[in-house]
Amino acid sequence: MITRRIFVRNSALAVIGTTAVPNFLRRAAFGAVTPATRTQRLVVIFQRGAADGLNIVVPHGEAAYYAMRPSINIPRNAVLDLDGFFGLHPSLSALQPMWNQRQLAIVHAAGSPDPTRSHFDAQDFMESGTPGVKATDDGWLNRCLHDVTLRESPFRAVAMGTALPRILVGSEPAVAINNVNDFGVGPRNPQVSPLETSFETMYAGSVDAVLHGSAAETFDAVKMLKSANPAQYSPGPGANYPRGRFGDSLKQLAQLIKANVGVQVAFADIGGWDHHVNEGSTEGQIANVLREFSQSLASFWIDLGDLGEDTVIVTMSEFGRTARENGNRGTDHGHANVMFVLGGPVAGGKVYGRWPGLDAAQLYEGRDLALTTDFRLVLGEMVYRQLGNHQLSQVFPGFDAQPTKFLGLIA
Amino acid sequence: MVPIRCFTLFALAGLFLLPSPISGKATSRSQSEERARAIQALNRLTFGPRPGDIDRVLTMGVDKWIDQQLHPSTIDDHELEARLAPLRTLGMSPRQLAENFPPQPLIRQIAEGKQPLPREREKRAIYEAQLVRFREKQDKKAGDSDQNDMAMRSEALSEEQKSQLLAPLPDQRVRALFSLRPEEQVNFVSSLKGGERDRFLAGLSAEQRETVLALNNPQQVVTDELLQAKILRATYSQRQLEEVMTDFWLNHFNVFIGKGAERYQLISYEQDVIRPRALGKFEDLLRATAESPAMLFYLDNWLSVGPNSDFALGIRRQPGRKHSKLAPPNPQAKRRSGLNENYGRELMELHTLAVNGGYTQHDVTEAARILTGWTLKEPREGGGFSFDERKHDPGTKIVLGHKFKESGQKEGYELLHLLAHHPSTARFISRKLAMRFVSDDPAPALVERMAKTFLKKDGDIREVLKTMLASPEFWASGSYRAKVKTPLEFVVSALRASGAEVNDANPVVRQLQGLGMPLYGAQPPTGYSMKAETWVSSSALLGRMNFALRLAAGKIPGVNVPPPALEQSDQSNDVHQTLRTLENSLLSGDVSPQTHETISTRLDDPAISRRRLDDPARSPDVPLIEGLLLGSPEFQRR
Repeated sequence: MITRRIFVRNSALAVIGTTAVPNFLRRAAFGAVTPATRTQRLVVIFQRGAADGLNIVVPHGEAAYYAMRPSINIPRNAVLDLDGFFGLHPSLSALQPMWNQRQLAIVHAAGSPDPTRSHFDAQDFMESGTPGVKATDDGWLNRCLHDVTLRESPFRAVAMGTALPRILVGSEPAVAINNVNDFGVGPRNPQVSPLETSFETMYAGSVDAVLHGSAAETFDAVKMLKSANPAQYSPGPGANYPRGRFGDSLKQLAQLIKANVGVQVAFADIGGWDHHVNEGSTEGQIANVLREFSQSLASFWIDLGDLGEDTVIVTMSEFGRTARENGNRGTDHGHANVMFVLGGPVAGGKVYGRWPGLDAAQLYEGRDLALTTDFRLVLGEMVYRQLGNHQLSQVFPGFDAQPTKFLGLIA
Repeated sequence: MVPIRCFTLFALAGLFLLPSPISGKATSRSQSEERARAIQALNRLTFGPRPGDIDRVLTMGVDKWIDQQLHPSTIDDHELEARLAPLRTLGMSPRQLAENFPPQPLIRQIAEGKQPLPREREKRAIYEAQLVRFREKQDKKAGDSDQNDMAMRSEALSEEQKSQLLAPLPDQRVRALFSLRPEEQVNFVSSLKGGERDRFLAGLSAEQRETVLALNNPQQVVTDELLQAKILRATYSQRQLEEVMTDFWLNHFNVFIGKGAERYQLISYEQDVIRPRALGKFEDLLRATAESPAMLFYLDNWLSVGPNSDFALGIRRQPGRKHSKLAPPNPQAKRRSGLNENYGRELMELHTLAVNGGYTQHDVTEAARILTGWTLKEPREGGGFSFDERKHDPGTKIVLGHKFKESGQKEGYELLHLLAHHPSTARFISRKLAMRFVSDDPAPALVERMAKTFLKKDGDIREVLKTMLASPEFWASGSYRAKVKTPLEFVVSALRASGAEVNDANPVVRQLQGLGMPLYGAQPPTGYSMKAETWVSSSALLGRMNFALRLAAGKIPGVNVPPPALEQSDQSNDVHQTLRTLENSLLSGDVSPQTHETISTRLDDPAISRRRLDDPARSPDVPLIEGLLLGSPEFQRR
């Protein structure tokens, strides 16, 4: 497996040269592979609000695309062509090097098969991992840790933000963290303070199951973070995170990963995709949010450096948007969407999935991009190959995710 | 999900507290039962009890107090009015707000010579300051930063000007400020920071203060006062249930302050649309939100145009003549005209039927067609609702199997009527109310009972609440402290419990941002969750503990926490007695043995007791004990 990866990388390097290539790649190219005492990790990014996949990875080879979007299409001469048919929105230029290095793969016409066009329900289903089933009370990113044996760490599962998202709720301990450099009670303190001990004892003794459990995880995390001191890991050269919550989340996540606190699965989200009005094209609303999105991701990737070899990042959004633009130069709620998969072990440089086409008869319910890849198949492959959890029927109950069906996103 | 707890207080009072609180019939309840009911009522129907509230409710009688809360207009609230008085924007219409605190597009129009500058000196100063900033930005964009302009701004003020600006008399300072050139005003105001700023603003009238702040950023004045008012009302209003319900409906009919000019509409949305109907008929509320500029703008309906409307087809009708089809005067107009189904969908999913309420994609599209033409006049200048027949989609529509014959604006009212009285709506609203007032997962029997009242009483919200309050589930011991407070509920309940004096609510507003619940800041139309799992996370818990400690220690700027009224025996330096007193005042005396013992043990720690070998008589660190109690597991619930 490694040999093949190195082979792929070698050929990629031959084409693009060695600038802006992470060290581990360069090392791989020169034949030195690091030993295997490493944490394989999966980072999940949620684009909340239904990102417009058709304007993100643009099917510029489709005449119907241009016919249905007279004012908000991305002109052929503006897209960053990928393979003669698809092209990236120009605001995604920060991701182009990763595509060229074959670390970035794309799955188009992917998503949840449930027909709902409700943001709330669709996000819920994508986070529970059980489309159509509301009764699931935990998230798939939590369940996927059930059969993964690794080091005990309060940071095994971490969400960037003030709240623990649905996707990480469940029986495996998980922490939500808003600011890694100020995570504790009272004034900043390299040691555990008496105040922290007081609250810890108080909550540890509480019979309140909800608060008790959360607090126990919290104070374990506080202690570990104080000794790991992630503040010492500032972004590496070339990692210029854009301002804003998303860039900040990924910057801090990189700090955690570099501080070696045992992050195995992580989650971050970025809103601002619900463009019913004046979506824009190469400039405008979607261009702005895509710039923030791609520059943050690219910075994260550069910042991780060698640690990128053990990292896979996957993106998702609750559904796509209507193939046709609406009356306000925007788009309404649609169906299938696009997913990005970025990482060391990823077989990138390719758009995966069957393209269903955009002709009237090919559209889902006559209006949206049809779905050809269930998002669980993509995630299942990550869970199976990246995290080594083979019990996919427990992670995605009711979904038949046999390895034979995998797209081959991870070599 | 609700953990089994040991409720000392309720164990004393008996497990089930008998219903019929509304009937007014005197039932014989023991004193401890009555006290338990008062605590439950205060925790659920208010933003949390203040010191002395329990006794006040008991003196009045729990049932009578509830009845009063259900009729807020009978409650005197002048104390709150006095606190709100300096926030002058609360008394302005959206149009006045936009005039006095000009939004960016208006400044642009003036810069382009399309609008005149206002005459009055203060108003004019605000506009001119914005023009200075606008032009600077333009120059920056153009890349040729005007050296002269910059030089003018950085030019030092004369000693005479400086001393005038620091004059002891507020009027003198303000006069000095307005005698400066616009560039100098901008320069001076934006250089004011911290204590200097406070000193300059001290003693200014509300209007002067607003004007000075508006020189810096007029839009921010509008936002700040809106957010401050929210905190002040929740903390100090005597009409607590009305505030709780206003908050509930604002979240139900969520709009987002960060979208465009929404901030100019929010004051009116809250004061004129939501609050007066918070305990009224659901259909009234639904109609008022549907016609509100805030909602029409937030969910884009004002832009929705019927695909076959005259506007879309470029048809002009003239009275007495056969209509003629014209080419659209502007090719853009044609492209801009079409259906936007954003509001049509959320109206059914989030406002009325709920996601499984029995509607289809086709119903969404048809509802959107019905609501075409519901638009805004001059939205950017704060204009209001209007129905534009030319944008309304013609023809018959069918929603939920009901036929809507073509009748213009009336179709919309019929649709809202249908939705407001639908059994799915009754159940959805009832369940959501029960989730707010009873538990995250309310008993189906309770919800059914409430929904029945909803349907029978024409969607009368007050009646639905009465049914809930007459239900055993509301008073059951299992409902006691069953709800984890949202960050807003936590912060306000802490302010109330500690008897805090909020002189400046801005810092409190910022605390809420840090706790993940910025006010009016829920971007998705779902609003904020009311469920525990959303608000219990590592980050959130630490945030709450830190807030509790900072509040009690007086470290939230603009907020004073008075020392608690300690009993005589406390003066004798009995820290354990102090702890008991604080447990009574902050948590109605009901603290788990674990919490009590943890703090009690800590009291012997010199860091908390402040006792030192050389000075054994020093008083205990009361704020620290208070902070620990406000950060305790018990205080996170209501």
